[in-house]
Amino acid sequence: MIWETALLIGLLFGIACFLILRASFVRILFGFMLLTHAANLLVLAMSGDPDGKESPVVLKSGAPLVDPLPQALVLTAIVIGFGVIGYLVILLYRVLLDQRTTNLRDLFDGERPRPEEEEG
Amino acid sequence: MTSNLVVLPLIIPMLTAVVLLFIGQTSRFRRWLAGASSLALVAVAAGFVYATYQAPPLVLAAAGWLAPYGIVLVIDHLSAIMLTLGAITALAANLFSFAEMPVRRTHPLRSPLIQFLVTGINLSFITGDLFNLYVGFEVMLIASYALLTLEADDWDTKQAFPYLALNLFGSTLFLIAAGFAYGIFGSLNFAQIAANGAALSGDPRVALLGLLLLVVFGLKAGLFPLYYWLPNSYPILPGPVAALYAGMLTKVGVYVLLRIFGQVLPPDLTLVHQCLAWMAGVTMIAGVLGAVSRDFIRGILSFHILSQIGYMALAIGFFTEYAFAAAIFYIIHHIVVKASLFFVGSTTAIIHRSDDLAHTGGLWKAAPVLGVVFLLQALSLAGIPPLSGFWGKYMIIVEGLRLGHGVLVFLALVAGVLTLFSMLKIWMAVFWRDAGEDVEVHLDDRRWKPMTTIVAGMTLLSLVIGLGAEFTLKLATEAARQLTDRAGYIELMLGGSLAP
Repeated sequence: MIWETALLIGLLFGIACFLILRASFVRILFGFMLLTHAANLLVLAMSGDPDGKESPVVLKSGAPLVDPLPQALVLTAIVIGFGVIGYLVILLYRVLLDQRTTNLRDLFDGERPRPEEEEG
Repeated sequence: MTSNLVVLPLIIPMLTAVVLLFIGQTSRFRRWLAGASSLALVAVAAGFVYATYQAPPLVLAAAGWLAPYGIVLVIDHLSAIMLTLGAITALAANLFSFAEMPVRRTHPLRSPLIQFLVTGINLSFITGDLFNLYVGFEVMLIASYALLTLEADDWDTKQAFPYLALNLFGSTLFLIAAGFAYGIFGSLNFAQIAANGAALSGDPRVALLGLLLLVVFGLKAGLFPLYYWLPNSYPILPGPVAALYAGMLTKVGVYVLLRIFGQVLPPDLTLVHQCLAWMAGVTMIAGVLGAVSRDFIRGILSFHILSQIGYMALAIGFFTEYAFAAAIFYIIHHIVVKASLFFVGSTTAIIHRSDDLAHTGGLWKAAPVLGVVFLLQALSLAGIPPLSGFWGKYMIIVEGLRLGHGVLVFLALVAGVLTLFSMLKIWMAVFWRDAGEDVEVHLDDRRWKPMTTIVAGMTLLSLVIGLGAEFTLKLATEAARQLTDRAGYIELMLGGSLAP
C-alpha cells in the first residue's frame, strides 16, 4: 500500500507543479489545491504502512494500531490549507476585477497601460 | 522551570485582537486599548529577558502533557530577546499608525490584524514543537496576507500575488518537512528530535531534511534565490505596517534558522551549513545591488532587508557559538534600525507627498531632527563604529577570518560599502540637496512631528544598543550559550524535572 501511496503523491506533486507554472489564474489555483492535497497525503503516509493494522479509533483485537498523530496533524493542515486557498480565490478574483486579465504575463507586463477609471 | 506566565505573549495580543474586532468602529478607546496592550507586551517580554538571563528556560506544557507527548511552549533567553524586539516594534508601529491617520479615517481592521500578526510571530518564537511552529507561521502569514491587501491601491493588489503564491508554496514545503521529520525522528518535539538525532549521525535522510528546511526557512527569511516575494510587495504596505513587516517578518525566518539548525537538527550537517553560508553571501550582494538600482525610498529599504538578512544567515552558516552570538547581536541591531528607517521613509513621504527620489529634497534645512535621525540609522546600517551595526558586522567578519572563509568575508565587506553608497543616495536626494521647483514640501502637515518623535525614540534605543555594546553582547552571548547547550536543553525537557 505504501508504494501506491508514494506513486500517487508523486503524481499529485507533478501535476500541481505543472499547473502552478502556467500563466492562467484558474490553472494556478487548481495547482495550489492539488499541492496542498499532495502535502496532506504525504504527512498521512508518515503513519507507516497501514496493511494489517487497526484504525486508531476502535480497539478490537490485539492487532497493532495505525499511528494516529499524522492524522491529527493533517486535520490541522487541511483547515489551514482551506483558509489560505479561500483567500487565494478572493485575491485572484479581485485582481481580475482590478486589472481585467486572468493571465500572469499580462499582469506583470510593465508596458501595459492602466485601464481607464470607470465613471461614478 | 514550569511557569504559566509563558502563555502571556500569546494571550495578550490574541485577546486584544478579539476585543478590538468586537468593538468594531474605530474610536479613541480602541486606540488606547491597542496601545496599552502593546505596552503590556513590551513589559512582559522585558521581564522574560530578565528572568531567563543565566537561568533555565521557562516551560509550559499545554494541559500538563509533558514533552515529548504534548505541545510545549518554551521561553529561553533567545526567545525572550526576540519577543521583546517584536513587542517594541509592534508598539512603535501602533503609535506611528495613530500619528499617521486621524481616528475616523483609520481602517477598522488594521489594528486587530496587527495584533493577530503579533500573535503568530510570538507563537513562532516560543513554541517547542515543529508542527506548532508551522501553525505559528500560518497564523502570522494569514494575518500578513490580509494586511498586505487591506489598504493597497487597486492597481497594486497584484503585487500580493507573488507574495501569497511563494509563501503558500513555502508553507506546503514546511508541512512536508514536518511530516518527514516525524517519519525520521519519530517525534516533532524539538528536544526529542535533538535527542534522537544523535543516533542518526551521517544518515543521508537527515541531510536531505536539512536541505528541505533550509529552502523553507530561506524562503521565509528572504535568502537568494528565494526572495522574489519581498522587494515588490513591501512598498505597497501603509508606512507603519511596512515598518513592522520589515522589522519582524523576515527575522522570524532567521530566528527559526538559528533555532532549528543551532539547537534541533544534528550539528554535523556541514553540507547544509555551507549551502546556507554561500546563499547568504550571494544574498548580501544581490540585495544591496537591488537597493542601489531602485529610486524610491521604500524600494531601496526593502531590498536592503535582504542584504542584511545575508549577514545574519552568514553568521548562522559559520556555525560556531561565537558566530551565533554575532547573529543574535545583528538581529537585535537590525530590527530596531530597519523599522526606524521605514518610519523615516514614511515621514518624508508624508512631507513630500511622494517617496520617489525625483520629487524630494531640502529636508536637512526644513526638518533637521529627521535628518540627524536618518543619518545615524543609515550609518548604523552601513556599519560605521561605534553605532550598533558595526559590532555585529565586526564579530561576523572576525569569525569568518578565523574560520578561513576569505571570499565570504570579502563579499560582506563589499556589501557594507555598497550599503553606505545606497544610503547616501537617499541622504543626498532627500536631505542634503536643495528642493527643486517641482518638489512639494508640506511642513504645515502636523502629522510629521509626532512621527519624528517616534523615530527619535527608536534611534535612541539603537544608540543604546550600539554605545552600550558590552551589555548587548552579554545578552547575545548568553542567548547563544543557551542555544548551543543541547545536553542541558534535552535534560531539562525530557529528564522528568518538569513533572508537577
